[in-house]
Amino acid sequence: MIGIYLIGSFSIAISLFFSKNKNLTVGLLGLFLVLQWILTIYGINNIRSNDFGYFTYDSLAILLLIVISIIAVPAMFHSHIYLNDQPAPPATRSIYYGAIVMLITAISAGYLANHIAVIWIFTEITTLSASALIYHHRNKLALEGTWKYVFICAISITFVFIGILFLSLSLEHAGSDDLTFANLVANSDKLNPFWLKLAFLFIFTGFTAKLGLVPMFTAGVDAKDKAPAPVGALLSSVLMNLGFVGVFRFYVVIANTPLHHWANLVIGIAAVLSIFVSTVYMIKLKNIKRMFAYSSIEHMGIVMLGIAAGGIGYYAAILHIILHAFVKSSMFFQFTQLYRVYQDKSIYHVGNYFKYNTAGAMVLLLGFISATAMPPSGLFVSEFLIFRSLFEAHQIFVLIVVLLLLTMIIWAFGKNIFKILFIPPVDFDDSRVPKISPWESLSQFALLALAVYLGLNPPAEFVNLIKESIMLLPN
Amino acid sequence: MIHVILIVFIITLFYLSIANRMLTYVKVLALQGVLLFFVAFLQLSEINTLNLIFILLETIVFKAIAVPLFLGYLLKRNNITREAEPFLPNFVSLIITTAIVVATILLSNSILDSHLDKMFFVVALSTLFTGLYFIASRRKIITHVMGYMVIENGVFVLSMAVGNEMPMMVNLGVMLDIFASVLILGIFLNKIGDVFKDVDVDQLTNLKDY
Amino acid sequence: MLSLVLTVIAALFFTGIVIRTKSLASGRKGPGIMQPIKDVIRLFKKGAVYSETSSFIFQIAPTIYLASIVMAMLVVPFGQTKGLLSFSCDFIFFAYVLALGKFFSIISAMDTGSSFEGMGASREALYSMFAEPAFFILMGSFALLTGYTSFQEIFAALHIGSYISYALAGLATFVLIMVAMIENSRMPIDDPKTHLELTMVHEVMILDNSGFDLGLILTGGYLKFAIYGTLIFNLFIGIIDYQYAIPLFFIVQFLMAVIVGLIESFSARFRMNHNAQFIVALTSVSLLIFFGALLMLGKFN
Repeated sequence: MIGIYLIGSFSIAISLFFSKNKNLTVGLLGLFLVLQWILTIYGINNIRSNDFGYFTYDSLAILLLIVISIIAVPAMFHSHIYLNDQPAPPATRSIYYGAIVMLITAISAGYLANHIAVIWIFTEITTLSASALIYHHRNKLALEGTWKYVFICAISITFVFIGILFLSLSLEHAGSDDLTFANLVANSDKLNPFWLKLAFLFIFTGFTAKLGLVPMFTAGVDAKDKAPAPVGALLSSVLMNLGFVGVFRFYVVIANTPLHHWANLVIGIAAVLSIFVSTVYMIKLKNIKRMFAYSSIEHMGIVMLGIAAGGIGYYAAILHIILHAFVKSSMFFQFTQLYRVYQDKSIYHVGNYFKYNTAGAMVLLLGFISATAMPPSGLFVSEFLIFRSLFEAHQIFVLIVVLLLLTMIIWAFGKNIFKILFIPPVDFDDSRVPKISPWESLSQFALLALAVYLGLNPPAEFVNLIKESIMLLPN
Repeated sequence: MIHVILIVFIITLFYLSIANRMLTYVKVLALQGVLLFFVAFLQLSEINTLNLIFILLETIVFKAIAVPLFLGYLLKRNNITREAEPFLPNFVSLIITTAIVVATILLSNSILDSHLDKMFFVVALSTLFTGLYFIASRRKIITHVMGYMVIENGVFVLSMAVGNEMPMMVNLGVMLDIFASVLILGIFLNKIGDVFKDVDVDQLTNLKDY
Repeated sequence: MLSLVLTVIAALFFTGIVIRTKSLASGRKGPGIMQPIKDVIRLFKKGAVYSETSSFIFQIAPTIYLASIVMAMLVVPFGQTKGLLSFSCDFIFFAYVLALGKFFSIISAMDTGSSFEGMGASREALYSMFAEPAFFILMGSFALLTGYTSFQEIFAALHIGSYISYALAGLATFVLIMVAMIENSRMPIDDPKTHLELTMVHEVMILDNSGFDLGLILTGGYLKFAIYGTLIFNLFIGIIDYQYAIPLFFIVQFLMAVIVGLIESFSARFRMNHNAQFIVALTSVSLLIFFGALLMLGKFN
């Protein structure tokens, strides 16, 4: 099935590159969404089976595959509206659609990969397609963002490759050749610890470019700022999840070795630093998309804190990335409408949103409540569980620091959101504001509601899937 | 013999840190490509011939000929001035590079694994960190690309160390090299030179957190 | 004794060959090979002029310079025979007695009160300071490798076997040649033929010396060049028999002189601030030689 999926998607992408007819484009996009859902349903039915030896439909992959399939639908929808509103030459439009199909394909295949080199290849492909998308507007700022993204991701990919080389060195000791995760976990007691340490350092550093942690998060921030908002939604939700999958699968291997505590230390330091960095930037930011981007970094920091703390934190971390994907993507989708009203990204020139687009403003308000993890948002549950796991791991000092930083973030975020929603902007000419249909915000309400539902009253299969994906971790 | 070539490789790193002109960087990259060709030829004796020919072709054609020619063409086309302008004087760069090599040698001493030839590890890590330092300490955008090429060479040396047992790794590394270099150089050729008239890295600071 | 005689004979011809090569390379016939010696003899017959602003340092410095070089010459071995003096750690003695001579020439240059000479003196001091660790690390590596500390014993025990030692010997030759260039103020560090004081390093220090003193300094310069040539020759001589070693010695010295002449004809001097970098780069290379020696000893990896 994965073969059919990959070939189908790549051919759809190539046809989208060359299609000039609008109806054909819409048809192809619909076909791709159908294909994506077929893959998801096939995966659900054939859970825990292998495909081609390099892809496994394990529980974590299924969960994240469902997430991306759900988010892909509004992504296509809002891209369509976005490209209708912003005039773009047809060639640019085709590249956009082709690249977005390739991005979703590569991320889905990356979730399913069970061999570390395969996940590496698909991460590389996401870099390529994401950079084509970031460069959509073809102006100087977009070029700068693309260049920074490509360069930092290239260096990160090289780091991951070096980590893979060290991993194969540590595997030589065990006399095996196979770099699939299952084999690594099975041989985890025979791996050479020195090489494993180096491998973990390099792979972790490399994947932080996608995951959005210190030290390589800078690429992602510029990317989400410059890319069109629907693409930004994908970059800050499902692509970060791909980075998480890369780190998590390797973490499972290293958690079964004596290096577990050391790995927790490394992840913990990176996580706390990320939260600190995002606090610092959020306080002084005025660009709305960058604000969303730094908020994503803060959430990823919290997730990795949960991983580092252990215990209930593993469950909470996976719950958090799923819910965060829904919430953050809905906010980015809402931003497309915001931009249509104000034609500007800075907080100074935006305001009194309730007057122009009531439904959209509601989305922003609810999204803010969800993103800052206030009840009834599902994120409240997962963050609470992560704090509990920190408490149970006796990391009181870290917990206090993180709570303080999060308070500052809530303050900064809230200050900006309330300005956007309630305070009228200076020098704003509202005679030419387009009328935005409230039905466009429907998808975002649906995503937010899904986040609430999954957080507060998760179905049993959902809980079981999460529990199964953390099965291999100790305690 | 391989050790001798690797020692010469480290000396090229030193030369890179005190070189002044952009063309010298390009020539050093070409020289490193040739050295890697010989290392690959001597080291990978156990993998099958077709694979070996592919890897050898890649080093010679790509690393030693194509990329330096391309970089030289870029230098001429974008009228980039002859001088490389570093943030730190060359003197300090040389001392830092020496410190990197010494630190790597000391680090390699603490490895207890007898499986690996330590020389590869030392050369690879020093090249990697020197490449990173190169990127961080130079003012022009194109030197970032050159620093990335140096990092690629370091990765190649490391993949030589495991190449005999896992030729797949060397292939992957070659693929990464070609792919990433083509991507980066392609963007550079097409866009950066045209849009950013002044190839100073300070031009790339427009994306600020305002 | 043998090395002393051979070095003096080589010194007679060395500089002459260098100058002759440079002339021939630029298409002229050039002066005869014995011309430098004839210049020195002519200078010895003249009287010296001393400035009123200089003190006794200026008058004794050239003598001390030549004396230090002669003392250094005494410890240089030749193949299996020791020099006239040989004791443990005599390479340190070698380096520092040469440094003593250099120190006196530096302070005599500053003694004249001329700003040009002071500038040249400071440059000379800087380059010697950077070249010193290169030389010491190099000789120290060899001492580590062979387990001896005297010049003659080091060179006698040094044998070239594996690939690594070829590489090390090659690198060591390169470093020694460059140190020789630095110590003798030749290209690419210093141009002996420049006539602009701002670009001079060593020449400007002896600008005010005249007559007998200048003769002493020039003699010292020629001798120093030949001493380094002997030192480089010793790296490879090993255990060859005398009847082959002596002609080989002259051939190598001749070749070295020709190469130096060719380098001086065809290359330009480095930019002033690059000189310092280049010399520090030599220290880095000699550090590599040190680690290579440790590698060979098996104390490593």
